[in-house]
Amino acid sequence: MNKKLLIVFLLLALPGLASGQSQWVLEKSTLTYHVSHPLHESEGTSHAARGKGTCQAGQCDFLIAVPVKSFNSGDSNRDLHMLQVTRGAQFPMVTVRVHLPEAALTSATIHCDLEIDFAGQTASYKQVPFQAVTHGNETEITGTIPTTVSDFKIDPPKLLMVPIKNEIPVHVDMTWRRS
Amino acid sequence: MNRKSARFVPGVTILVLLLSLAFAVPLRAQDSSSVLSGTITSSSGAIVSNAKISVKNLATGESTEAQTNSAGFYSVPNLGPGDYEVSVSAAGFDAKTAKVTFAAESNRTLNFALTATLSLQDLGFPASQTQGNPAEQARLNKRSHMLQIHQRLGLITAIPLAATVISGAFAGGKSTSSTNRDLHAALGTATAGLYFASAYYAIFAPKIPGTKVEGNIRLHKALAWIHGPGMILTPILGEMAFSQRSKGEKVHGIARMHGQVAIITAAAYGLAILSVSLKSGHVSKTAHAVLATFDRKRPLSANASSGGSAQTGGAKNAAAHRTPESGFLKGSTFYPD
Repeated sequence: MNKKLLIVFLLLALPGLASGQSQWVLEKSTLTYHVSHPLHESEGTSHAARGKGTCQAGQCDFLIAVPVKSFNSGDSNRDLHMLQVTRGAQFPMVTVRVHLPEAALTSATIHCDLEIDFAGQTASYKQVPFQAVTHGNETEITGTIPTTVSDFKIDPPKLLMVPIKNEIPVHVDMTWRRS
Repeated sequence: MNRKSARFVPGVTILVLLLSLAFAVPLRAQDSSSVLSGTITSSSGAIVSNAKISVKNLATGESTEAQTNSAGFYSVPNLGPGDYEVSVSAAGFDAKTAKVTFAAESNRTLNFALTATLSLQDLGFPASQTQGNPAEQARLNKRSHMLQIHQRLGLITAIPLAATVISGAFAGGKSTSSTNRDLHAALGTATAGLYFASAYYAIFAPKIPGTKVEGNIRLHKALAWIHGPGMILTPILGEMAFSQRSKGEKVHGIARMHGQVAIITAAAYGLAILSVSLKSGHVSKTAHAVLATFDRKRPLSANASSGGSAQTGGAKNAAAHRTPESGFLKGSTFYPD
């Protein structure tokens, strides 16, 4: 009886074990961009990102996407201006693609090569460090992406004729669940 | 021909032939090579940069590698005649292969549209959220353009407005000279013209449906209900006062309100500029201080909020310190009941 149960178990488990595939789902996220101006420091935050990852044969691909409209700075006038300069109505989504070895996911610091589509442009960022803390089958990832306005060919918005700084770092706080 | 030249000519001829052969061989090889080039995009048409292209000669097994540039373009030169297998791979996309045959000197263009391993549809975003809306973008562009003009005209208006207020101090009183009054009137006219031009761009800038108004812009819009009517009333009262003075009369009746109305209008206008220029906390402190000078029963408190996302906090602090029973601002939009 035990041998039969073992055989049944192996027959069921082996396909999964052989494929070596795992899936990741973004459970919750906070993405915050930071804009600097001589008169203002402002931030806009979104909790509307969705993401998935697939790992196969030791390599993982992640896709994270967030609507541009979902970022809220607490000032509707500023948010509408942001939407206009980033061409957010024409290109409504920010997408981030990450490709990295599966083994890298076990480290406390993950260095990722990111490819970001935003405002109709694609920009690559190499070896961006993220801190990873794992609790059970959930992993919290935090870090800052060093994005700039010029990377995406955005005309920097102005207030009182003075433009914002080129650097618009995006702080990322994401919780991923492995399934 | 003499003996020396007879021996010399064959040597030179041989040298020329050898040189010709030396240059002819590589030229012949260059003429028969081909170039494979193309563009790699995603299935949605987006450029795929840093994609790896491998071109393998099926006869010899030799591979040539290339990579797409920031425009998604690749080029693989010096390919001899034969059959090749072209493989394309990029992070986040499924790999693709294609076969191509080169004859001598036949350049080929081979474009690939790669399918993403994961797509936006996999994330569950509805198509309405992922598809661009050029009409809405055009509306946003027009709105921003008009509001930029409104901002510039508004700032320019502040100059003659300040000059009008200052000249007003010398335009009234017991002086019978009309020069100061004429100057004050002229500056006031210029101010009004610029003001209404600026207001036009703000009022007729396209509205974006579904936008919840929040932040300092609420204060900016609320103050327009003070300086807007003020900019209409001030010239009317000013004209009445001007007429009375021109007749040699003392300014009397409702015309006496001209100065006070003008000061309130100018103060509200200045605060409106500050409301979209400064941080929330600084604005509520400034508003609190300005309003306290008009609402004499309301104490000037040091507890107005400062910094951070304090627009709501600032409004709460202002509400905590107001005395709604006092002052002519009771029931106004700035002090909602």
